[in-house]
Amino acid sequence: MIQDTVWGVSIVLMGALALVFVWVASAAKPAVANYGPIVDAAYRIRVWLFGLALIALIGTNYKTLGELPYVNALAQSPATAAQPVQAVAEQWAWTITPSTFKVGQTAEFHVTTKDVNHGFALYDPDFRIVAETQAMPGYTNVLRYTFSKPGTYKVLCLEYCGVAHHAMMAEIKVTDR
Amino acid sequence: MTMAVAAGRTAINPRAAVIGYLAVSGIVLLLMMLLGLMMRLAQAQWIAVPPNFFYMVMTMHGAGMVGIAGLSSAAVMWHFVRRYVPVSTAVFLTNLVFFLIGAVLILGAGFIGGFGAAWTFLFPLPAHSGGLWSVNAAASYLFGLVFIGVGFLLLHLDIARGILSVYGGLGAALGVKQAFGLADAKDGPPPAVTASTMVLIVNILGILLGAAVLVVSLVNLYVPSFTFNALAAKNMIFFFGHVFINATIYMSVIAVYEILPVYAHRPWKTNWAFYLAWVLSTVFVLTVYTHHLLMDFAMPTWALVAGQVISWLSGLPVLLVTAFGTLTVVYRSGLRWNPAAALVFLGVAGWSIGVIPAIADGTIAVNSVMHNTQWVPGHFHIYLLLGMVAMVLGFMTYLTNPQPRSGFAWTGYWLYVAGGVIFVLAFLLAGSISVPRRYAVHIAPWLPYDRMGSIGASLAIVGVLILVARFFAGIRTAASAKDPS
Repeated sequence: MIQDTVWGVSIVLMGALALVFVWVASAAKPAVANYGPIVDAAYRIRVWLFGLALIALIGTNYKTLGELPYVNALAQSPATAAQPVQAVAEQWAWTITPSTFKVGQTAEFHVTTKDVNHGFALYDPDFRIVAETQAMPGYTNVLRYTFSKPGTYKVLCLEYCGVAHHAMMAEIKVTDR
Repeated sequence: MTMAVAAGRTAINPRAAVIGYLAVSGIVLLLMMLLGLMMRLAQAQWIAVPPNFFYMVMTMHGAGMVGIAGLSSAAVMWHFVRRYVPVSTAVFLTNLVFFLIGAVLILGAGFIGGFGAAWTFLFPLPAHSGGLWSVNAAASYLFGLVFIGVGFLLLHLDIARGILSVYGGLGAALGVKQAFGLADAKDGPPPAVTASTMVLIVNILGILLGAAVLVVSLVNLYVPSFTFNALAAKNMIFFFGHVFINATIYMSVIAVYEILPVYAHRPWKTNWAFYLAWVLSTVFVLTVYTHHLLMDFAMPTWALVAGQVISWLSGLPVLLVTAFGTLTVVYRSGLRWNPAAALVFLGVAGWSIGVIPAIADGTIAVNSVMHNTQWVPGHFHIYLLLGMVAMVLGFMTYLTNPQPRSGFAWTGYWLYVAGGVIFVLAFLLAGSISVPRRYAVHIAPWLPYDRMGSIGASLAIVGVLILVARFFAGIRTAASAKDPS
């Protein structure tokens, strides 16, 4: 899952940065009389680091910007026909209709709210988030998700909305084809 | 105008005013850390608190921390920039007075009125309490923020006046010509002036938009028929919030530029890259705020794509200029580590390391599954607890003339570092398994992370308590030290 990759890459990079800081701190002494050549070497390393950063930046952005979740509902093609779903939030409950699907089906959640800002977060049967969007007053956000696993999915509220924010939960059942 | 002349014009001792800022910040920081610990203990189910109390404390913790982040880092900025430009101690103290008035209004709104809409007061939540707080309690909170914002606005305007009187223009004070090779870097402004200029540009804009949405919210409270586009309000709130909290790091980093060279006996190199980093940061901080709105599908797609791309670009000045500069100032400098130098060094490390999870979450494909999980407080506590706070604690320690062998200070330092690291890792781990943020009640699978976070927080609090106590113990030294001429 994306989250595991993100965690793995993050902890490696954070750890590497931390080690660099620790190493430089331990190498503060002894002083070097002629610091010029060391600084020049450092600037050369920086050029390489800048190049690496640019490659990572362009590569990751190119790849991920091709996978945007933003759906123009009018651009739906017949081959990927989706089941429209009304997902309405209010303090403090969800009303989701329909709420049963089959594996392989694509749900097109039309998410809105009757009162304050809420957050629509779809959790899979392993209780990991697989899709999210905001529920905004005066707007309907469209989120498409294709169910690939059977089981009980949960919808949690992921935008703080008041005293029962943590209790706003709904279930979606997905059965085998 | 020299600093001596400026000081002579007022009876208030500027050094005492700075210490006043830091004393208030130190005490409030510890109190807010205790509120934060209470939240983690409640989530860990090691203590039991009713949800409405949890959310009120959560609101107070957020507002209090953002407030003293601003207050303490403004003290750092003002202390150093006044060496180079004329500023008014009276305006500096006025900001403190406005801050304290605002703080009383905010604390009253929460602890007396039960206000618990989160520090971000996301429209129209303050007016929809479900019976838990009154309209007047919400208004007290919003007015409190207005007071604090007005105080900072006055401070930034006064510094702008001083900067303009010396440099003639904000571009000159920012080092724009030096950034683009149109002027010699040797003729560029000192780092404290450049940083102060960047911050006043972004904060004046941020505070004005924040004030506007606060006024909208206040009117809506008493005149419910006065409605406002919720997405517009959200843009304004997140523009204000993003700019203001980022500005606190850009103010407190001045401590790094000014303090590390003292102990390393090496100057901070203000070359073209330094000025370019600050010019770019000015633009990036103003334009990246849509990375808070990546799950608002109603936003124009180009604005959200820009939020992602600019998030990634923002990491470059931090890592390749500030972090890089810090490392090259220290390496083989002969620096004898003392707690002040170690704290500002830690602050840069924290800021740099925090860039990684921040950029991750600023990537739309990642945000789709990590938005508003505990990954978010994970990343911003690295920036703030182990970044900005470390820089400010370093400044406070520096004022008390620390020695390398201050044993007890080192104990405080390492407890703070170890506790802070455990604390933030617990948040990141929890976010990676989709634990939501801002939940008063947690379920069984999440408890081990909450407990890890509680232990980390406790250690960090003891460490910070030691460091703040040492500041108070050394306050006479801090008050009587002479500013360099």
